[in-house]
Amino acid sequence: MDFDLTPDEAAFRAEVRAFLTRELTPEVWREHRDLGEQGMWTPAFTKAFRRKLGAAGYIGMGWPREYGGGGRSRVYQAIFWDEMEYFRAPGLDRSITYVPNALLALGTEQQKQSLLPRVMRGELSWFVGYSEPEAGSDLAGLKAAAVEDPATGDFIITGQKSFSSDAHMADYGWVAVRTDPAMSRHRGISLFIVDMTLPGVQITKYPTLAGWTHHAVYFDQVRVPRSMMVGELNEGWRVVMGAIDFERAALASYGLVGFQLDRLLAWCGAERADGTRKLDDPLVQDELVRLAIEGEGTRLMTYWLASLHARGLMPQHETSLALLVKRETARRFDVAGLEMLGPFGPLRAGSPWAELEGDVEVEYRDRLYFQFAAGGFDITRNVVAQRGLGLPR
Amino acid sequence: MDITLDEDQAMILRSAQEFAREALTPARIRALEADDNGFDARTWRRMADLGWAGVVFPERYGGTGLGMFELGLIVEALGQGAVPSPLFSTVVEAGLLLLEAGSEAQRAHWLPRIAAGGAILTTALLEPGGALGSAQVRACAQRAGAGFRLSGTKLFVRDAGAAAAIICLARSGAAADDLTWFMIPADAPGLARRRLQAAGGESLWEVTFADVAVPADAVVGAVGAGWPLAERLLLRGAALKAAELVGIGQASLDLTLEYARTRVQFGVPIGSFQGVQHHCTEMYRDLTVCRLLAWQACARLGAGRDGLREAAMAKAKASEAIPALTRTAHQIHGAVAYYRDYPLELYYHRAIAAAAAYGDAGHQRRALAGLMRGDLARFQGEHRHDLPVHQG
Repeated sequence: MDFDLTPDEAAFRAEVRAFLTRELTPEVWREHRDLGEQGMWTPAFTKAFRRKLGAAGYIGMGWPREYGGGGRSRVYQAIFWDEMEYFRAPGLDRSITYVPNALLALGTEQQKQSLLPRVMRGELSWFVGYSEPEAGSDLAGLKAAAVEDPATGDFIITGQKSFSSDAHMADYGWVAVRTDPAMSRHRGISLFIVDMTLPGVQITKYPTLAGWTHHAVYFDQVRVPRSMMVGELNEGWRVVMGAIDFERAALASYGLVGFQLDRLLAWCGAERADGTRKLDDPLVQDELVRLAIEGEGTRLMTYWLASLHARGLMPQHETSLALLVKRETARRFDVAGLEMLGPFGPLRAGSPWAELEGDVEVEYRDRLYFQFAAGGFDITRNVVAQRGLGLPR
Repeated sequence: MDITLDEDQAMILRSAQEFAREALTPARIRALEADDNGFDARTWRRMADLGWAGVVFPERYGGTGLGMFELGLIVEALGQGAVPSPLFSTVVEAGLLLLEAGSEAQRAHWLPRIAAGGAILTTALLEPGGALGSAQVRACAQRAGAGFRLSGTKLFVRDAGAAAAIICLARSGAAADDLTWFMIPADAPGLARRRLQAAGGESLWEVTFADVAVPADAVVGAVGAGWPLAERLLLRGAALKAAELVGIGQASLDLTLEYARTRVQFGVPIGSFQGVQHHCTEMYRDLTVCRLLAWQACARLGAGRDGLREAAMAKAKASEAIPALTRTAHQIHGAVAYYRDYPLELYYHRAIAAAAAYGDAGHQRRALAGLMRGDLARFQGEHRHDLPVHQG
């Protein structure tokens, strides 16, 4: 039992902090910040930044050396994710976390050899094609289909994917489709890597209440070679489920919450126009202390999870639990932050009197998705109860 | 960084849990609540034989030289089994106070006896004001020749009925923090003890001192230097009560899950209902957070580091979350657990007693608020960022 970073881990954290401080200067923020994007940065900057991450060796540091990975323990991975979130850096998404992780675990040798080096250089952006208009929490109801062309062995994909984050900037899709409608719901699904430049791929836009644009992807007779299938034919559900575990582990980082705490502490500690500090109010103190305790719980969950991984213990429901804790805590900060801002809370970014650049209001809107995306709060509670606590379905 | 139990720690926890499961029957545990000693002497002897009474003492005092973290695992297991013992009074309070501040003669006399299970000791800190500040201590020690004469009333003194001696904090001078610990035999003339009727299975006492003669060599630590020792005693108590609350929460959750899996209503186990599942996940969520916070607090104090932040966070969280968890457990059980012969009630009561001990949730949050305003870096912890918060 050791709650401290080793000297080497601490040195790595200092290095990451220095890297992010150097790269994300106030000038960079002003120039490349883009509230019209889901990641809050312009797609061009996000892609450029991902290449920098690749060049610095931060992508794939936990993967085996035979694929060019760094072979480092999951604790380093957690530190990196943690710091990226704290700095609200661009590019920390499925493209460098769970898609390549899933590919590593479940892809063919050829897929790994051809794609992982490019992932590690930060060259690739991905979107995940799971959700459909009729298949959300009940993902096994998905209808997009792929039919095999017996002449070539290719698969022809037709159908619609919705709520497709960052599809507009993706090089590849990681797409689940039905390949045998006669089989039971959880079987007959296969997973394909789809080149987004192929003929028949079309992307449409939907404005969100958060202010950024989300996307849907239509596949009209898109021809994908069999070599781009991940896992066995009709066994895609297993791939989907495996990848979801990777996704949750990456999303369960502490950094965002740490940033929220520090920002609120700094804001409450600053002297206001009338010479008082928010921090002098005992009710504010109590709320901040409560938030800090929840934040500490979140931090420990993150590193507990990393420790379990580092020991090779393969946590499963614990990952869902950690994500629930992180996201509920982050939401609690969103709400508390808005409340503490009082009449300034609803002022939007760009308003002359907006506090904290209006970010708190932006985030209050934006992170509503924490409550339903990648396993909503209630679905996650079911998952933990059934998979972790042994309660009956 | 490795937040998992190593093999030795996992074994200590496992064996303590096995011990706690079979040590006492629920009927015996209930009977002990009405017993003045409050614990089973033979069980305490067995615990001492296992080395638990001396787990935090160095080997030269008959201890096993492990640490606070391992003691926390044992306390967690005893909480899970609702096993009453004088571990808090004798080891956590008096034993560690003597180890930290006692004279060599005091340590050499008492610590081996505690470790062997032969001596019960306790400390007397709180008074009718009920607050945990130095200003609340009104018990007074007047100089009398080479020694002192002590008068005052102490409350919530653990295991005073069984204790051979009571280490009492009293005012020894006019200055605000001029407080001193005195070790007084329980049979000293002028010392009177009265059992308090309280929920939760600990034997708590009112102890009054009426002009009790105290020799000079009864001082523990230096005269006038008692309050910092009291603060550290409270911190250790808080961290370990947080660990006990984790055990209480684990037992309550286990009972609830077993019930939810097997209780059939409307033709199905009630655990298949989403309402029940969500409650169970919430219990498990809070329990997991409480366990990690308690582990961290015990590990820090065990390493001899400043642990105010960590212990206060652990105790503040557990003092609210675990009693709430037991209320949810009762809600899922319904009427059946309202009866005394169902074991859940043991934990329902123990949770509020443990929450109130060594600083309740409000006390701990107040301490954290003080840290936040007075020493922000310490409040933020060692993982903090030293740079100004990055703003776009």
